[in-house]
Amino acid sequence: MDTPRYFEDFRVGQKFAFGAYEVTKEEIIAFAREFDPQPHHLDEDAAKNSLLGGLAASGWQVCAIAMRLATDHIFNQAQARGGAGVEDCRWLKPVRPGDMLRLEVEVLATRPHPRRPLGFVTMRWDVFNQREQVASIVNTPIFARRSAA
Amino acid sequence: MSGHYWEEIEIGSKQVLGQYTFTEEEIVRFARAYDPQPFHIDPQAASRSFYGGIIASGWHTVAVWMRLAVASHIGAARDGPRAGVSPGFEDLRWLKPVRPGMTLTYSTQVTEKVALKSRPQFGLVKSRNEARAPDGTLMMSFIGKGFVERRTTGGAA
Repeated sequence: MDTPRYFEDFRVGQKFAFGAYEVTKEEIIAFAREFDPQPHHLDEDAAKNSLLGGLAASGWQVCAIAMRLATDHIFNQAQARGGAGVEDCRWLKPVRPGDMLRLEVEVLATRPHPRRPLGFVTMRWDVFNQREQVASIVNTPIFARRSAA
Repeated sequence: MSGHYWEEIEIGSKQVLGQYTFTEEEIVRFARAYDPQPFHIDPQAASRSFYGGIIASGWHTVAVWMRLAVASHIGAARDGPRAGVSPGFEDLRWLKPVRPGMTLTYSTQVTEKVALKSRPQFGLVKSRNEARAPDGTLMMSFIGKGFVERRTTGGAA
């Protein structure tokens, strides 16, 4: 399937799958030091006693990595204009050091902006590691409309 | 809320988490790693873009909420009740572009507490979280969720 460029190129039910992002222990700790310095994201021993049962990435980092994959494989080939927001994000399983993340994307809805030459594309990002699904992120990026280009 | 068990957390309690000033250097550094779109990483391309200049990744503006929440002792501490693990969030809205030099004030307010049959040692706390510009304009908001350990296992709130 051709990579979509404009709002009009997105269709409900479209699916895309891509990515291989290795999550290292160093990156988990570096992100956590800056944005989420809780013991279960920083320290193996402290993490064992937490609900996560061992060192795991901040959920915000999982979202950021999903964004990186979507940017590389969709947004930077398209006329992307930012994001309206995230309807629902579920962190389903811990992401561990050494996990390889990939993304499956499905377009759920499309809606033209009422006044501006833009359109909203609601999509679900299912994030998987090498074993199982780890997160589900329903979000609505914005794209330029071809008709206005 | 650190040091508070689930039973002790009050619905309606609001806390200002602090302020954060976004520099161009930090905006670009975050976006190069996680959101390398031209309007986040390239000042010249950004000046010609829809946004008219560099803006922060929305994921950066919300990650700063987490940083300030942890600094405000929301979430896990090495001693005290176990907390700080979340099943997700809802209704995150990026309402206005965040530009270099802007200072945002972040806050959190407890909106709901839910007892969990599946995890009787823990309860869920929902919160409404905001980032506002100095003139009060709402820039970002979301509904957060976090597991907090209970003083006594099971039972209603």
